[in-house]
Amino acid sequence: MARREVVICGGGPAGLAASIELARTGAKVLLVDENRRPGGQLFKQIHKFFGSREHNAGVRGVDIGKKLLAETEALGVEVWLNSSVTGVFADKRVAVLREGETRVVEAEKVLICTGGAENSLNFEGWTLPGVMGAGAAQTMINVNRVLPGRRVLMVGSGNVGVIVTYQLLQAGAEVAGIVEAAPKIGAYGVHAAKVRRAGVPFYLGHTIIRAEGSGKVERAVIAALDNWKPIPGTEKEFDVDVVCIAAGLRPTSDLARMCGVRHVFVPELGGWMPEHDDGMETSVPGIYVAGDTAGVEEASTAMDEGRLAGIMMAYRLGHLTEREMREKKEEVSGRLSALRLGPFGERRMNAKRRITEGRA
Amino acid sequence: MSRKKIAVIGAGVIGCSVAYYNAKEGAEVTLIDAGDIADHTSSRCDGNVLVSDKEPGYDAGLTARSQELLDELSRELDYDFEWERRGSMLVMENELEMEMGKGLCRRFTDTGIRCHMMDRKELKEREPYVADDLPGGMWFDDDGCLYPMGLCYGLADGLKRLGGTLSLHNAVTGIRCENGGFVIRTQAGEIRADVVVNCGGVRAPELGRMVGLAIPIRARQGQILVSEQSFKVARQKVMEFGYMMAKFQNGGEYKRPVTEDMEKYGVALVYEPTGGDNFLLGSSRYFTEDLHAEIDVMRAIAQRGIRFFPVMEHIKVIRAYAGIRPFTPDHMPIVSDTEIPGYYIAAGHEGDGVGMSAITGLLMSQLIAGKKTEFDMAPLSFRRFLQ
Repeated sequence: MARREVVICGGGPAGLAASIELARTGAKVLLVDENRRPGGQLFKQIHKFFGSREHNAGVRGVDIGKKLLAETEALGVEVWLNSSVTGVFADKRVAVLREGETRVVEAEKVLICTGGAENSLNFEGWTLPGVMGAGAAQTMINVNRVLPGRRVLMVGSGNVGVIVTYQLLQAGAEVAGIVEAAPKIGAYGVHAAKVRRAGVPFYLGHTIIRAEGSGKVERAVIAALDNWKPIPGTEKEFDVDVVCIAAGLRPTSDLARMCGVRHVFVPELGGWMPEHDDGMETSVPGIYVAGDTAGVEEASTAMDEGRLAGIMMAYRLGHLTEREMREKKEEVSGRLSALRLGPFGERRMNAKRRITEGRA
Repeated sequence: MSRKKIAVIGAGVIGCSVAYYNAKEGAEVTLIDAGDIADHTSSRCDGNVLVSDKEPGYDAGLTARSQELLDELSRELDYDFEWERRGSMLVMENELEMEMGKGLCRRFTDTGIRCHMMDRKELKEREPYVADDLPGGMWFDDDGCLYPMGLCYGLADGLKRLGGTLSLHNAVTGIRCENGGFVIRTQAGEIRADVVVNCGGVRAPELGRMVGLAIPIRARQGQILVSEQSFKVARQKVMEFGYMMAKFQNGGEYKRPVTEDMEKYGVALVYEPTGGDNFLLGSSRYFTEDLHAEIDVMRAIAQRGIRFFPVMEHIKVIRAYAGIRPFTPDHMPIVSDTEIPGYYIAAGHEGDGVGMSAITGLLMSQLIAGKKTEFDMAPLSFRRFLQ
């Protein structure tokens, strides 16, 4: 059986950052990702990031991804692509489906950073072709360079909904409007202002009632809400061939569940998620989580959580002295706190504190 | 005379059946479980009701009678538990197994079981996807499969219709004998009963200790793989002849040509088709209470499946699960009274709980009502373990 000191499940920002941190200390790491190339959602992020210089502010996600990839290559991190982790079993044996064959790798530490999944919404016609997650539409335009349709209705005004709306416009689609059940826009003002300037109307206090069409989406109907219930007579119809759902994400933690990791329900971070300490270790010793799996946040926090997990694993494996670990941990933790400042970050910061202090 | 008050503890397939048949007999029945209906072993199993994996004689007779009772239950209950008698087959891996099979087949037919040996040609005609080198098999006409959770729910529903009570999510914490009856301490308060039936399965020893009885039941784990939706790789239950050896550990001198892991985890082919064409593939036998499917066992089960059905190599497994069977030292269940008047046990069916549930319920109702039982109860008696 193959052995590695650390197996990292998921090569998005968290996994890449963790692998770099570990490889720098000389740890033997295997990074596994089911896609053709690593980077997770970073390669879809063609917009510039916010935050401080340490967080690559002003740099586009796709360029951050390229930088991380170059670094893993320079450090000689072992990467298995087109490979799915199908399970983590007793004694940290990780089963990987690769080239049609299941290989089992025994690890001393396992990092699970498999990201998040989009929530769906149920309404009449929600299974019609043309109804899709906003993230799926983003993959189509930014990665595969395919327009999902001619005219889109976006449901959800959070950052994902608004950013994808803008990118759909850039890609040449029309966006008929952004529908939001809450009374105010969820996204950062700077993103919302951009789409507003481009002429996309927001329908606040509205929700989608149904999608219609023969065999595919041809129309969508929305209505105003009173106390979260549609008000009869307020229906508006849109000629659209795509309905994008941006109803938030939830942590993908199936592998952590399989390991018996204790889960807690934290609405601010997407719902059920693995409990973990301030060094990203879960209730099962040796099993770590980072990124959206450890609570849905942003790519910048995912990278720092990955680094943090990497530092702690390297220390436990004897590749860092206690002093080195403390210095590095303090630096990364400080950056993470900085990322969670401000009116948007505060709720997440408080939620994270509840989790790491075992109060969730 | 007032109706007998019976508390049945454990709402798995055995408890549901015991509760139902006793209610039919006229008793006032309460079915108690720490969790839900079919919460444990009965939702982590397959749905076999087979004569083909029993010892000819008493053991097979119980199952054959259970099959008749299931025919009745499928008409009697309001719930479709998908009971279908498609037959079953054992497949042999080599000539030696064919020889051993012929002896077994004679013993079955001598006791009135409808079965016959198949040569390679008949085997291939019935199941074109079996491996080309298999010399033959044995066909059983009357065997069938059902949906275990459906049966449990159907019986529980039938119990309610007969005026019985369900007390679910209510763990039993103690049992006290008082005035010739029992006081059962539960999370939701005390329940009084004239009769207690311990249907705790792998938890039966705990419920026994509450009244000072040592019940020799151990957890013997089994794992099952679930395939993606494909097609009918075989039309009915298929087991390898060696399954009997894995089950009864009585192969004698004969050793199956299997890998170390297959030997260690008692892996033998058991194939079961489902209505949705996601087939179930087993089996394994290993003494542990652990409820996790393990990769070594999963792999061995898959390899064994491919050995008999090479086409499976191209079909994906989408899930795996483990359940724990209540194992007794002599493989026979305990369906019995005890030295404590009014305290009964119906547990320890190992992998035959679903198959023997109906007859167990019926026998237990006859036993408690003081009627003549349809079968000699000595082989199922708890006293056999007291020597």
